[in-house]
Amino acid sequence: MQSSAAGVDPHLDIDTYDPGADLMVLNLGPQHPSTHGVFRVKLYLDGEIIVKAVPYAGYLHRGVEKLCEELTFVQIIPVVDKNDYVSPMMNEQAIAMACEAMLGIEVPRRALYLRTLFAELQRLASHLLWLGTFGMDLGGALGGGASLFMYCFRERETILSLFEEVTGARFHYNTHTVGGNRHDITPKFSHDTKATIRVIEERIGEYVQIFSSNRIYRDRTQGVGVLDGDLAISLGITGPLARASGVDHDLRRDAPYHIYGELDVNVFTESAGDCFARTLVRLNEMRESIRIVREIIDSVPEGPILGIKPGKSPGHIKIDASQRYSCIESPRGELGTYVIGGGSNRGASAYRLKIRSPSLHAASCIPYVFPGHTVSDAIAILGTLDPIMGEVDR
Amino acid sequence: MTGDEAQQRFVALLHERFGIHEIPADNYPLVDVKHHFELARVLKEELGYRIYSFVVASHYPATVDAKNENAEIDAEHYEVATGIRCVGAPAHLASWRVRAELDQAVPTLFPLFAGADWQEREQYDLVGVRFDGHPDLRRLMMPEDWEGHPLRKDYAIATACSPWR
Amino acid sequence: MTPMIHGLVWGLIIGTVLVTVAALSIWFERKFAARIQSRYGPTLVGPAGILQIVADALKMMQKEDIIPEKADPILFRLAPPCTVIFTLTTAAVIPFDENVLAADLDIGVLFLLAVGGLVVFPVWIAGWASNNKYALLGAMRAVAQGIAYEIPLVLSAMVPVVLAQSMRLSDIVSVQAQTHWFAFWPLGPGLIAFAIFFICSLAEANRIPFDIPEAESELVAGVTTEYAGMRFGLLQMAEYLHTLIASAVAAAIFFGGWDGPFAPGLHWMVLKTLVLFFMIFWIRWSLVRFRSDQLMALCWKYLLPLSLLLVMASALFVHYRAMET
Repeated sequence: MQSSAAGVDPHLDIDTYDPGADLMVLNLGPQHPSTHGVFRVKLYLDGEIIVKAVPYAGYLHRGVEKLCEELTFVQIIPVVDKNDYVSPMMNEQAIAMACEAMLGIEVPRRALYLRTLFAELQRLASHLLWLGTFGMDLGGALGGGASLFMYCFRERETILSLFEEVTGARFHYNTHTVGGNRHDITPKFSHDTKATIRVIEERIGEYVQIFSSNRIYRDRTQGVGVLDGDLAISLGITGPLARASGVDHDLRRDAPYHIYGELDVNVFTESAGDCFARTLVRLNEMRESIRIVREIIDSVPEGPILGIKPGKSPGHIKIDASQRYSCIESPRGELGTYVIGGGSNRGASAYRLKIRSPSLHAASCIPYVFPGHTVSDAIAILGTLDPIMGEVDR
Repeated sequence: MTGDEAQQRFVALLHERFGIHEIPADNYPLVDVKHHFELARVLKEELGYRIYSFVVASHYPATVDAKNENAEIDAEHYEVATGIRCVGAPAHLASWRVRAELDQAVPTLFPLFAGADWQEREQYDLVGVRFDGHPDLRRLMMPEDWEGHPLRKDYAIATACSPWR
Repeated sequence: MTPMIHGLVWGLIIGTVLVTVAALSIWFERKFAARIQSRYGPTLVGPAGILQIVADALKMMQKEDIIPEKADPILFRLAPPCTVIFTLTTAAVIPFDENVLAADLDIGVLFLLAVGGLVVFPVWIAGWASNNKYALLGAMRAVAQGIAYEIPLVLSAMVPVVLAQSMRLSDIVSVQAQTHWFAFWPLGPGLIAFAIFFICSLAEANRIPFDIPEAESELVAGVTTEYAGMRFGLLQMAEYLHTLIASAVAAAIFFGGWDGPFAPGLHWMVLKTLVLFFMIFWIRWSLVRFRSDQLMALCWKYLLPLSLLLVMASALFVHYRAMET
């Protein structure tokens, strides 16, 4: 069952579709075990084949951007943590980087190393979570998928313990701030990290085996949900999703930030564009993250971790009326922040702050990719698109 | 090509093809709304900027002279910033702003970039700026029957607590 | 003792034992699954969590009996008990020991397959009567799967029948006791026939990797979406019972039943059943599920031709053996 993404009209008028076909409308969500958050997709089914899929986002809209116009730049960091709630470090870094770029603050080297370290560990943890939930989508919460889920979360817990050691929180850290970081690492952290990634590296080998040698996994994912590379970038899809469709684009290598410019980041692409390709890309990225962490964990330079004087009040970062967009490569793609300064609180808040979330674009490819597949495939595809609804809706 | 060279090429394009000479230092260039689609088309088809990055709309209420309240310095308008990126190194982001008056619609980029579909819907939903030629301009984040555009500066809901000032 | 009394008494005993074992197996499955997933499973209620079953049963029984307004009132209530009834009835002909047998029918295998095949109906009715699109999808998939996998199941069950030249299950077991177990003799075809029978039993019992009728990640709870409380409990019980009985049948017709290398008896039958049952759990917690069209392709394109060939092969085997003697 191949998708015809290029020939699919996402705004297909269902009344003009074959009038003889008795189409069934099935609502996938918002309450559903596998929609990855509160997300609704209205499926028009001809038997079990999807004819048209209409996604409805916005169930998790919490008005973060409006809040950003009231709270100061330092205060919104814990708030945007909850956007991409699976990889919170990325959200914080995106905001902090945007503010620093606009104010011309130089972040100390040690803080840059820490940020890179945290970003790569977070990428690893995020992909592990994705792998576990993808197994559940394929095989059910009562079945083989749940076994894979438990293994991945067992590994992820070790990474979260590392973060807890540094920042005090397993989840939603509030460890980055404008000008640098707030928590420093210790030699014990380096030691624990190395032990952790050694274990995870072996286990990733097991997961690769589960995927590439299990016939059922391959049958469920190969040839399913083919996304054309040109359509992907036209939709604004970046990250592993685009790389699996053959687009050789990674912000860490092409527009380096933090200390990625000094590292050699290997970028993995596949040309098939199906679910299997996306799986392979993410598994390879996990290994690459481990490699990068191992490379820099011992060479973190000494020095301060905050480039500016610590502020006494939440309004100490003030940005005048200028505009800037800056972005990072999150596990889902290009996560960017567009800041227009000069807002309320005498410039301590943004006038307008927009978060460009990669998951919004991933979710928007559903009308193109779903038609032609069955409901089972739809779940598998939704799993590999990896939309995080907190990010889609903000 | 480095990032700086790409930026220079973009500036040269604006200068030669669209007659824009003023590139502010801390802001993105302001392009006339009637050149909006053409600029995007040139960037995509001739220079290979094929990754759709973002569109951001902001609402600017009317500013009046502090001394004379009837003298309007600037009318109420929207500003729409668009960003598109080229594939591979140096992944340069070309972005520009467009000004739209309150009743003016900005041409949609959907024929060029499929990603404009949802992004423009979201900006319409939250800010209120309309996009001309959009196939399906309806609300994305807010419920379909919601009234008002939340991210406008004159929009507020009465709540009991207010954040730190 | 007339056959009627014999059947009633033994039927009652076997039925009770099977239901109890199925209930215990829920506990065992949870512990086993937990250990596969590097966690503990139920540990709080009772020693090693064994009273968890009692707790769950009590919980289910005291739940509110929710019936959707537009659900078919009779069919909705009828479906869960029917699944259990049809499944349990097939256990009447299984020879657990030479004398431990409820009904020694001379059409034992036919009875088994026929009544076992009826189980598809209540599952289908459950999905239909729920008046829910997810349940309907699950029901349609159950019918497609059930009907399709019925055929290789029957054909692979024919292999022991042909080899023993009798449909009476006690005859099949005694022939195996005298010669060799049919899984290993003739070597090759016997094992393949067992494999096909095993796979088709998994499909009939809606176990992973064939659980698309209740595919939780896709169809919420599939056929069982609208069922709450004890009705849901009955549907789940039927699944466990069906799995247990399928293991017992496979042990009887392929692995010699109560026969053993030494001291033949009931304990061998129990051992073999439990080993196969354990394997079914193991498969469940290791594999993900098929997509429905891939499932159908597996059945029609691979299992069906293979089982046809096996029946022919076993017929030829018996013919040549008869010609030799």
